[in-house]
Amino acid sequence: MDIEKIRNFSIIAHIDHGKSTMADRLLEYTGTIEKRQMREQVLDTMDLERERGITIKAQAIRMEYQGYELNLIDTPGHVDFSYEVSRSLAACEGALLLVDASQGIEAQTLANAYLAINHNLVIIPIINKIDLPNAEPEKVLIELKNVFGIDKEDVIMASAKEGIGIAEILDAIIKKVPPPKGSNDAPLQALIFDSHYDVYRGVIAYIRVVNGIMRPGTEIRMMGSGTDYEAIEIGTLKLGLQPKTELGSGEVGYLISGVRNVRESRVGDTVTYSRNPAESALPGYQPIKPMVFCGFYPVNSGDFEHMKDALLKLQLNDAALTYETETSAALGFGFRCGFLGLLHLEIVQERLEREYGLDLVATAPSVVYKIIKTDKSEELIDNPSSFPNPVEIESIEEPFLKLTVFTPSEYVGKIMELSIDKRGEFKGMEYLDPTRVMLTFDIPLSEVISEFHDLLKSCSRGYASMDYEFIGYKPSDLVKMDILLNQEPVDALSIIVHREKAYYKGKLLAEKLKEVLPRHQFEVPIQASIGNKVIARETKPAMRKNVLAKCYGGDITRKRKLLEKQKEGKKRMKRIGSVDVPQEAFMAVLKLGS
Amino acid sequence: MTAGPPDHRTSRPKDLKAYKPMGLYIHIPFCKKKCNYCDFVSYAGKEDMIDGYIEKLINEIHCSDLGLRISDLNTVFFGGGTPTLLPPKHFENIISTLIRHWKLDIGHSEISIEANPGTADLARLKALRSLGINRLSIGVQSFNDRHLKTLGRIHDSNDIFRFYDDARSAGFENINLDLIFALPGQTLDEWKKDIETAINLKPDHLSTYSLQIEEGTPLWDMTKNERITHYALRVTSEETEAAMFEYAIETLAANGYHHYEISNFSRPGFECRHNLNYWKMGDWLGVGAGAHSHVDGKRWSNTEKIEEYIHGSSPTPHASEQKKEALFMGLRLLEGLPAEKFDGFEAEVEDLMKDGLLENEKGRVKLTRRGLFLGNLVFEKFV
Ligand code: SF4
Repeated sequence: MDIEKIRNFSIIAHIDHGKSTMADRLLEYTGTIEKRQMREQVLDTMDLERERGITIKAQAIRMEYQGYELNLIDTPGHVDFSYEVSRSLAACEGALLLVDASQGIEAQTLANAYLAINHNLVIIPIINKIDLPNAEPEKVLIELKNVFGIDKEDVIMASAKEGIGIAEILDAIIKKVPPPKGSNDAPLQALIFDSHYDVYRGVIAYIRVVNGIMRPGTEIRMMGSGTDYEAIEIGTLKLGLQPKTELGSGEVGYLISGVRNVRESRVGDTVTYSRNPAESALPGYQPIKPMVFCGFYPVNSGDFEHMKDALLKLQLNDAALTYETETSAALGFGFRCGFLGLLHLEIVQERLEREYGLDLVATAPSVVYKIIKTDKSEELIDNPSSFPNPVEIESIEEPFLKLTVFTPSEYVGKIMELSIDKRGEFKGMEYLDPTRVMLTFDIPLSEVISEFHDLLKSCSRGYASMDYEFIGYKPSDLVKMDILLNQEPVDALSIIVHREKAYYKGKLLAEKLKEVLPRHQFEVPIQASIGNKVIARETKPAMRKNVLAKCYGGDITRKRKLLEKQKEGKKRMKRIGSVDVPQEAFMAVLKLGS
Repeated sequence: MTAGPPDHRTSRPKDLKAYKPMGLYIHIPFCKKKCNYCDFVSYAGKEDMIDGYIEKLINEIHCSDLGLRISDLNTVFFGGGTPTLLPPKHFENIISTLIRHWKLDIGHSEISIEANPGTADLARLKALRSLGINRLSIGVQSFNDRHLKTLGRIHDSNDIFRFYDDARSAGFENINLDLIFALPGQTLDEWKKDIETAINLKPDHLSTYSLQIEEGTPLWDMTKNERITHYALRVTSEETEAAMFEYAIETLAANGYHHYEISNFSRPGFECRHNLNYWKMGDWLGVGAGAHSHVDGKRWSNTEKIEEYIHGSSPTPHASEQKKEALFMGLRLLEGLPAEKFDGFEAEVEDLMKDGLLENEKGRVKLTRRGLFLGNLVFEKFV
């Protein structure tokens, strides 16, 4: 393919602004997929994605249109996966910036647009959903001007749903997005912008050839990891894999190389030939660093191996997931897992439960704390239970985010209140137009990973959107709070809290635990403590009466069923010391309110 | 479909050993109105099916293969539903069938009927008594009109008193009162009053059940479904419930009632023989919609739907683990079970003894006082 005729582009948008429908429409219009083959939103293939309405894994697809090869590279739509977004954008020369005609610019519109601008992509602004009755395209035009300096004339009015503006968009892609630069004669450099594990074929890496020509049957090298593989098959992506004998500079396609695990073909890595390698890798490669950690424990200790196996399988397809075995005095053997963010955590948990049928206990998510000890040494700790003795601690630092919130101006007061309550430091406020503002805060990650997003949504009646980026570590006055059930510390319930909030949270947590713990034959004292000092205390009273009544005319089956149910319920709980603890107890930590 | 009703002779277990005492349960699934807490097999507004139902019932009694054990039948229990809704002629039919077909010995059998206040007058009660029915179990539930309303009962306390007097006048010398405690919003004092009122009537037998609020009943929605109420009706706390039970046990004992099963008390000699047979895992046959049977180690039940029952449908077999069932049923009796019945469960028994739930008294393993309150923790070890 003549490099001049290739266009590589992405669609960037805030969640729900119509990205998937737009992709569908482009595929349909270019005849890449016939209408009747079209499942709605073909690009999102995982069930979970479909259900949650988000794209987790990026994908790519090739369209042919008026003699051009248009490669649409899809990007994940959630801030947890912003590194993947940035790698997908690095594989493009242009981006369609989609803004909902009634919602206007939202947090992820801005975050993704800046990512695209930083990658020097040509931006094609589109106002989508103009057919909706509450569309206000004029207002959005003003926002686009105010925020990005985009001129009215450059904006395409569209409705992906109704097929309005599609031809114009395709024209703009051809006319405005530059062809890739690159030389077929240079040593091979191909960027891995996504990869995915297939049970039959191993890892399928999605690549963009930047320089050189990739051919199958040759020995290739992952420059980041330095390992060599054989390029078994290459090709382009339509709905499905189309094997090819070569991929030239500028082209987008896939590579199968016998890699068995996505961690060996990491997103952002550069593929070159083992003989005649490129001098340097493409810029921007970052090893993935999990930001949020939690423990996963099988409810039935016999499921440990099954869980290990499941995690291994998930990891084949999820380079960002890390795990290692961990032992908890309370929960037994389990795994400490690392995630990009809370959504990522939830997705993994849900998959373990749903796809692998595991009953598991997830401990409260934790960030990575930096502990500076009195002897000046530093330690990174992602698990409250491994916090050092307070006397050894000189200071503690925790990760902070720059949080950006977009909201109609009437909710500013409430959002300020929420953010400040969550230890956010107000940084600035900007009006996008007379009714909408952008607020920025510096805020500890630990506050954002609990229920911040839900609270933000509820205090703005769903209108506010948020995005964040990691800005570094800052000192905080933190303490470790332990929970004791029946006098025994439950390590899995320990949390790190800000000293000023410790009493309040301790009380709340003790109350929550009282609510969710079942009654036992004996009274169960519930205590929250810092060091040896008990700061809150509740008591779950003993079981007083639990006995079947009624005869039911000799219906023994009914009696048995009741008893069986009771027995089953107990089995699903975790026995800690002499106390049966239900899953909700571990989640109670998460929902401590504000 | 032309297939007739299945032959009960072939769908029932055949290898019945003869000559064992035997109870017969007859289910009458009709009520005037469904109570708010009710999840029994009973229907309101289906009175037009009564005749067809009874016909089928008699047919079932006739067809039953258990006829070969005719001389063993010694308890009959008409349960419901509200059996007293039926005109006496139906009982006449049923009982004469039993006499003819099963050689029921009226003089030596316990023949019980469940009754709800206000559903039979003196004449009907007399008629029932004259047919040989000798035990009457009255669904009192409460003497407090406010709570009777909450429960959705069709009667008030005056109806109860009148009904009780009529029953005595009709010649019933063995009367049970059913009472329910832990009603939503019920105070301990209100319950004490119920117990005292009951004792003053001098019944021969008393059953006290704590209310189970079952999902799918109106009472569930009234108390537990947050979307429907805002907990307008407060569910009794476990502490209060325990205190109520405690009060019943103490007070009834002090008034000469023998506490012989977790929920049952009687004047000496008036223990319910029919129910004792359940707890001792004897054999019983249940006829009618939703009725359960247990004969020679096998258990089965009939369809709960009246229409299906009348039209004819085969009973459903139930998996049964005789040994375990005998243990958790038998432990409901305060006398407990001989220790040797627990072979294979020594570890469980030992643990339960450590927890103070079971005790061994002169070779019998039985619930402790504490075990009476926490029986499920014991029973669950035997399922
Ligand atoms: S009288 Fe008994 S069986 Fe009839 S509806 Fe009321 S609770 Fe149910």
